[in-house]
Amino acid sequence: MLNPSEKAYTLALLALKRKDYRVAIGYFERAAPHFETNKEFNLLRDTTRLLVEVKEKLSALEIAEDRLEVEEVFSNGQEKDVL
Amino acid sequence: MSHIETLRSLESLLVSFLERAVALKEDRLCVLDGINRLDDIAQGVFNGDDLTDQIGDWFAEHNHWLEDSRLKTADYNRMGKIFGQIKREIHASQDSSPAVMKISDEIDRWTEKASHRKLVLKRGPEVAQAKEADNTIALFGNMLNRIDDLFADLSGSGKHLLSVLDQTLKTASLQKSNEALLLSALIIYYLKLSNYMVEPYIRRLKEAESLQKGGG
Repeated sequence: MLNPSEKAYTLALLALKRKDYRVAIGYFERAAPHFETNKEFNLLRDTTRLLVEVKEKLSALEIAEDRLEVEEVFSNGQEKDVL
Repeated sequence: MSHIETLRSLESLLVSFLERAVALKEDRLCVLDGINRLDDIAQGVFNGDDLTDQIGDWFAEHNHWLEDSRLKTADYNRMGKIFGQIKREIHASQDSSPAVMKISDEIDRWTEKASHRKLVLKRGPEVAQAKEADNTIALFGNMLNRIDDLFADLSGSGKHLLSVLDQTLKTASLQKSNEALLLSALIIYYLKLSNYMVEPYIRRLKEAESLQKGGG
């Protein structure tokens, strides 16, 4: 059978191709034991990790922003004119 | 620029970088995905599943690989091991079904084609590999395997060992690859024993080593 780490690295790259970044991180972690000294591997894994963190932060900020807007529109229980 | 705009800009940059990084590997990714799926099939056969149809489909889908030059020696070696495992498991004989016989013939055909590229069929280990992460012998063995894979990858298109050495030294410097550094040293020593002038390469090796140690 193939080395599981090598298979996982390939699956991580395929997940990146599908823009399935969270899944890619899981595969990168599984591949790590075999590739921990590989600079390219580390660069791709760390970039993906950073991207997922940025997406999470953005998502949290956007939710907070939406909540603020809703609170603004319905302050005192009455809808305001937002235009 | 607001906090959100800054994050969106960074997100866009990272996505673009990853897209381009994966695009550069598109051809290799296609091959590795195919080999991965062949390995999955072999695993299923090993577990006793009847995957005759899947094996047939795999051969049909990847038949063109034998006609073009996308496969590297390391790929043939990987597939050779998997084909060997499948063939052992399906136990093809005179009494086997036509489908099994066809798969056996197809494996032989691939093996024969690949033999022109010095295909090595290796038998897998008889027992599960021990956990030897802290064993220097196992670690060195793993390193040798990675060096072997790297050499197979880099030597596929090279015309001379010196051009392979040039590639390994570049990889050792630019990617700070430990495997590439060790492979470079091995090639240099081999060339030195063969009376080549290796001083310029030794200089580059030392520079690459210095870079990996954080110097330069």
